[in-house]
Amino acid sequence: MIPSRLWALAALVALAVVPWVLARHQLSLLTDLLIAGLFAMSLDLIMGYTGMVSFGHAAYFGLGAYASALVLLHFAQPVPVALLAGAVLAGAVAVPVGWFSTRATGIYFAMLTLAFAQFLYTVAYKWRDLTGGSDGIAGVPKTPLFWGGPSLASSRAFYFLVAACVVLSLFVCRAVVRSPFGRALQAIRENERRFTSLGRDPRPFKLVVFVIAAVFAGLAGALFAPFRGFASPEVMFWVFSGQGLMMVIMGGIGTLVGPVLGAMLFILIQEVLSSYTEHWMIFTGVVFVLIVIFLPGGLVGTARRLGARG
Amino acid sequence: MANLLEQLLNALALAGLLFLVSAGLSLVFGILRVVNFAHGVFYMLGAYLGFTTVALSGWFWPALVVVPPVVGVLGALLESSTLRFIYRRPPIYQLLLTFGLALILEESIRVLYGPTAKGVEPPPLLQGAIDLGGVLYPRYRLFLVVLGCTVGVAVWLFLSRTRAGLVIRAVAQNSEMADCLGADVARVRTLVFGAACALAGLGGVAAAPMTTAYLGMGINVIVDAFVVVVIGGLGSIGGSMAGSLIVGAAQTWGAFYLPETAMVIMYAVMGAILVFRPWGLFGEEE
Amino acid sequence: MRRRDFLKVAGGAAVGVSAPIYLRTAWAQGPIKIGMPAALSGSNAQYGIQARRAAELFARDIKAKGILGRPVEFIYEDTGGDPATAVRKAQKLVEKDGVKFLTGVVLSSEALAVSAKCPEWKVVFMSTINGAGALTAKAFHRYFFRVNTSGPMGARAVSLYLAESPMKRFFALGSDYAWGRDSVGSFTTQITAAKKEVVGTDFPPVGTKDFASYIAKIRQSRADGVYLVLPGQDATIYLKQAHQFGLNREVKPIMEILELENMKAVGDAMVGAIGSSRYPFTVDTPKNRDFVKRFHDLHGIYPDMFDGETYEGLEWLAQVIGKAGTDDVEKVIDAWEDSSYEGLEGPFFMRKCDHQAVQPGFAVECVKDPKYPHPIPRILATYPGEKVTPKCRTEEFS
Repeated sequence: MIPSRLWALAALVALAVVPWVLARHQLSLLTDLLIAGLFAMSLDLIMGYTGMVSFGHAAYFGLGAYASALVLLHFAQPVPVALLAGAVLAGAVAVPVGWFSTRATGIYFAMLTLAFAQFLYTVAYKWRDLTGGSDGIAGVPKTPLFWGGPSLASSRAFYFLVAACVVLSLFVCRAVVRSPFGRALQAIRENERRFTSLGRDPRPFKLVVFVIAAVFAGLAGALFAPFRGFASPEVMFWVFSGQGLMMVIMGGIGTLVGPVLGAMLFILIQEVLSSYTEHWMIFTGVVFVLIVIFLPGGLVGTARRLGARG
Repeated sequence: MANLLEQLLNALALAGLLFLVSAGLSLVFGILRVVNFAHGVFYMLGAYLGFTTVALSGWFWPALVVVPPVVGVLGALLESSTLRFIYRRPPIYQLLLTFGLALILEESIRVLYGPTAKGVEPPPLLQGAIDLGGVLYPRYRLFLVVLGCTVGVAVWLFLSRTRAGLVIRAVAQNSEMADCLGADVARVRTLVFGAACALAGLGGVAAAPMTTAYLGMGINVIVDAFVVVVIGGLGSIGGSMAGSLIVGAAQTWGAFYLPETAMVIMYAVMGAILVFRPWGLFGEEE
Repeated sequence: MRRRDFLKVAGGAAVGVSAPIYLRTAWAQGPIKIGMPAALSGSNAQYGIQARRAAELFARDIKAKGILGRPVEFIYEDTGGDPATAVRKAQKLVEKDGVKFLTGVVLSSEALAVSAKCPEWKVVFMSTINGAGALTAKAFHRYFFRVNTSGPMGARAVSLYLAESPMKRFFALGSDYAWGRDSVGSFTTQITAAKKEVVGTDFPPVGTKDFASYIAKIRQSRADGVYLVLPGQDATIYLKQAHQFGLNREVKPIMEILELENMKAVGDAMVGAIGSSRYPFTVDTPKNRDFVKRFHDLHGIYPDMFDGETYEGLEWLAQVIGKAGTDDVEKVIDAWEDSSYEGLEGPFFMRKCDHQAVQPGFAVECVKDPKYPHPIPRILATYPGEKVTPKCRTEEFS
């Protein structure tokens, strides 16, 4: 049974070495996978650890992308400034949305997040002067790391930025879930009524974790905009949120690192299959349904279960 | 005056269609506690199968009778082969399972029918328009109003006046108790799911002459259906009717007076209800 | 042996010896690769499929001699109509497959996103479908070429036709997104300049499935015609419902894009509708008739707008590569600028200033014809390229 620390170390080494091993387009794909992985991981904070299913998480990814795109395109600030802008905007919007949404629970919470997300999507779609409307914002540049600093234009440089962000976020999120705050979240997930009956109010906890998750989703979106060079309303659509949920389940709900792998799996299936057939969605759907029924712990959950047994 | 009549009829016709789509969704949630994301795809399937039936038989009326049971049986089969195994799990799994099924079904329809929309003509009896005091109103829309009302009354009578309806309501209230009292809970669930899909299929057949059968009609209608069901109350047929009327009216009048903000207002109403009265106007507080 | 004969023999021998070398070099360079990140699934799939159909016919036509003696390879990727996927697929085509030419992109949002990356990748983006005016105006760059009629050009053709018609009052109905808004704006400017009146405008959301309220408003406005800028499926639904309300008889449907996809889905209910077509397959020239026949033989259906425009783009691109003598992107761009091409619809000219192909504009009418299984576009008027193409790098007309 390989201790998880060793897995982590191996993964870090692999991430560091990979730019010299992979071809350029494979590195671009990996960067894409990591960004999606960060998005899925942020969703796991509320889904896996607090038991809140959100159909509106893509909205924060989108907000991060738009903020980052506007900062880079119109103000030509270094990329980290854009990342901060994206994370902050996403978090700021998440506060009122979260405040309202966490007043509902279960399926009502999910529907409410859907309603808010669709509202934000509609705003992005219609506010053409700011967001470019249905065309989105294209031509977003990759500015340097800091004023007068190294360029991030090469795929290797940008990959390192993304990988560093994802690894750091993973560490931060792990710290959050292992803290007393995190244990309270899991208590809420297990049995919210008991939590309340013990004299504690779950709502501030839910609101805080909702905002934290939004911040990381916004960071993922803020990385997306310079990487792909644009931001458009599609990244805020509820179907993308649904895909995020799929990534979390496939990778392993409540494991943080599982959703990152789940995102990679989801996109890789799509990439590989769509070159062979345009009906790849059927295959993805079947794999997903099978995982839901037979492997509810997802990749990582099942692996841990098997590892624990052996 | 004629204008008001026309708008009222438009709202009722749209409400009729929305009711057919959302009644099943509401029932599945009320009785199975499952949010069926595949519901829109069953609606779409109904429209496409309606197209095929009309193409094969040359008549529209057989489609109304034949297609819903076919869609219902398919739904029942899917439920008993997939959903049945995961009822004991947290609701997220059931929700996502239906999401996955929706993806598979939608793409399968595309494989079978191709990407071009399929037009369906209303039957000769329902073609053309009637003169209603100066307004030329399409006969087919009047039919939708009638169909919506009829189906609504029929379902309500079934649930409240028949023994089978009683068993279903018992399972909805407390499935374990109903099981102890001898109800075959698994069978009830499958039947209800199938019936809900059949209703959605009927909605699709009814919609096809008005909107054609096209890919994306499922995703297009599911958000509307959610809004209706939330406003009316998950699990309540009366709620679905009320919700359909409200949303139908809002969309019709909204399109006339404030086309660009109509949808936004709908989301605001939905949000307000979820926050302050999540069980909707006619649902039961949990 | 006399000197002339010697030269002839020597020349013949030299050619005979060098020919294999030329072919070997050509083979060693590999095929000319054209990447097509098209929407082959999702709600816009029918347009991506048109692009692919055209490419399949072109691949067949060019198989015998290739371009510069090299075979042509098409690599298709499915974007699903999503800009993020489109950029990802395009990047894969450029970085992994080494394509130098990208085409077949369907949505304007996808085109803007992918095209913005082309200067970085140093590949040519050839638009055969995208109508957004911004692509040759605000968002223009050297690596972008538009072979198709743009949205503003379509609106222009319609306006020119309507300027001569007895209709005076128009209602404009555009879907509430970039294309709908821009086209209605363009039409309003031009039709008012022609001393006609726009009596009302409305912008239903994309994906509207019940147009009853809009139909009521249009009827109330007592317009002669309604200018429609609705994406394919929305247009189909509108035309069907307007027919059911009997509106089409009172208020003539006028569409910026009058395409076969609508005619097949709506059928006879839209006979009598007029509008602009980017490529009407009924253009009566020998070259086009031959194309339509070959297309029908291969695919069993008649070519729609994007089938034709994509084929023209590919044929022109092949000619330009031949003229440049290489598939080096910079040289191809130089060869393409200010070049002419005899297309299926008529003469094309690639303007250097904004890489917009100046081409004829068509006003068409949807009519029934017993020879065809669905209604077809009958050409009402043909306008020369200079009259329908906007001023350089703008969306305005003189």
